[in-house]
Amino acid sequence: MEPFRPSRVFVERGCEASPILRNLRRALADVPFEFFERGAFSFARAGNGADSFGNAKRSLFLTRHKGEFLKKCPGSEGQVCCNYFVINFASNCPMDCSYCYLQEYLAENPALKVFANIDDLIAEADELLSRHRRFFFRIGTGEITDSLALEPYIGFCRELIPFFARQPNVLLELKTKSDCVENLLDLDPNERIVVSWSMNPERVVAADEHRTASLEERIWAARRCQEAGYKLGFHFDPMIEYPGWEEDYRSMVEKIFAAVDFRRVAWLSMGVLRQTPGLRRAMRERFPQTRLLTGEQVFCPDGKFRYFQPLRVAMYRKMLGWIRALAPLPPVYLCMESRAVWEQVFGFVPPCEKELGNQLAHF
Amino acid sequence: MARPFLDYARAKGFRETTVKRFLSLEEGAQRAVAAIVVPLKASENHVRDMLDWLEEICLRDGVAIDELLSREAFAAIMGDARLGRSDKLKRVKEELRRIRFPRLSWVEGEIARRIRALKLDPRTEMTVPKGLEGGWLAVQLRARSQDELKRLLAVLSEAAATGEVREIFTLIANGGLEEPQTGNGTI
Repeated sequence: MEPFRPSRVFVERGCEASPILRNLRRALADVPFEFFERGAFSFARAGNGADSFGNAKRSLFLTRHKGEFLKKCPGSEGQVCCNYFVINFASNCPMDCSYCYLQEYLAENPALKVFANIDDLIAEADELLSRHRRFFFRIGTGEITDSLALEPYIGFCRELIPFFARQPNVLLELKTKSDCVENLLDLDPNERIVVSWSMNPERVVAADEHRTASLEERIWAARRCQEAGYKLGFHFDPMIEYPGWEEDYRSMVEKIFAAVDFRRVAWLSMGVLRQTPGLRRAMRERFPQTRLLTGEQVFCPDGKFRYFQPLRVAMYRKMLGWIRALAPLPPVYLCMESRAVWEQVFGFVPPCEKELGNQLAHF
Repeated sequence: MARPFLDYARAKGFRETTVKRFLSLEEGAQRAVAAIVVPLKASENHVRDMLDWLEEICLRDGVAIDELLSREAFAAIMGDARLGRSDKLKRVKEELRRIRFPRLSWVEGEIARRIRALKLDPRTEMTVPKGLEGGWLAVQLRARSQDELKRLLAVLSEAAATGEVREIFTLIANGGLEEPQTGNGTI
């Protein structure tokens, strides 16, 4: 995996005491650091030129987050939801997948930011988890950034994991396309941490998941995490349909379960490629040669394009069959899919999101 | 080469992004697109749809836009004296959509063929959702009296028992792609 090398690190005044700054200085010793006063800088200007979103990934901002860190995953309107919570410890991602929804979601605010006030984050999580001890939470950090891609530079997980490992009512999911797991291996996850990978065949990784770890590197990293005591997760999302996809995906599933023990897998998910019209425009502009937009996708009621329903149902069923043959126990769920598709794929629809969340949490 | 399109786009008030997109095409492609858009007086939305589909087909199939639009199917539509301007535009878009979405178009065509084979009363309409999303068949009856409704329901009930209707539901469910097979009721 290509190492992240920002051309500059901008640090907000007031973040000097943050352990993240200390880690950044150590890991990026030859990169210039500049300090700025909050309010004196517009993050919207972080990216400039023809590809402002792409350019924004070349600088890193260390700043304080003023709002809430913890949010309910918004899901997608009218689709079955899995009752997931997200922690936003950073915004934007050093990787550059051609299908990434952040190209639209963060178009007006593309700065690659890491939030320095981890103590506020932990206090907020502590308050929520303590207040609802009878509710079991699934919380992830990979909503608007990759959970681990910046880890070698910021050391965020070394602050976060010890806290979550002590909590009785949570599973923290670290979702990544990287192989940056070194920092995790000597920590005790105490059955409370799931490290998960977004998986695609090498052909898709090479063509459309720019600056990410290869399939082999992800599998190797997963194995190392499992050996260190972590639970694992795999997200086959976005699944891409192309001539020969069946062979590639089946072979990928075989490689994964040849390397890891399915009994230590907390959950698996499937979701097909999807885009809003705005994301399609961004993809056309930034990746004109990507073939992802040439699939037979139709506009769905939630405002996203997906492969037409019989096609994606067939994809899910095939994939589920390959998974179940090698990993019969871990729960498999669909991400952002309709009740009709759930019914066709699994033969049932979860009665409510809490029920689905509970099933996933207590496997 | 771009002049006729640009004059037309200006007269119709097309947005700059659409014009720029047209100008980014190669000269032969510009000529081929203009030869459809201008005489058929396509609206900007139609032009955008066509450009999307043309670019996606060309990327997928490795053909040039002018090569694609020079196919016999398009020449036949454009040269058909029986068709008016809006019918030609509709047919051109249908043909492009058929090439852009070959499997979906096939399933939709097979469903439409079976609905036609039922020879339903014109007051009974069967439709499937656009893009087959949702996986259902809609039936609409238009009756002006209780007796009329009873008659239509009786005919519909007979139709529902036919092999055509069974096949329609199979096509909606699996698109002819595989035998239906669902999971075992757990995640």
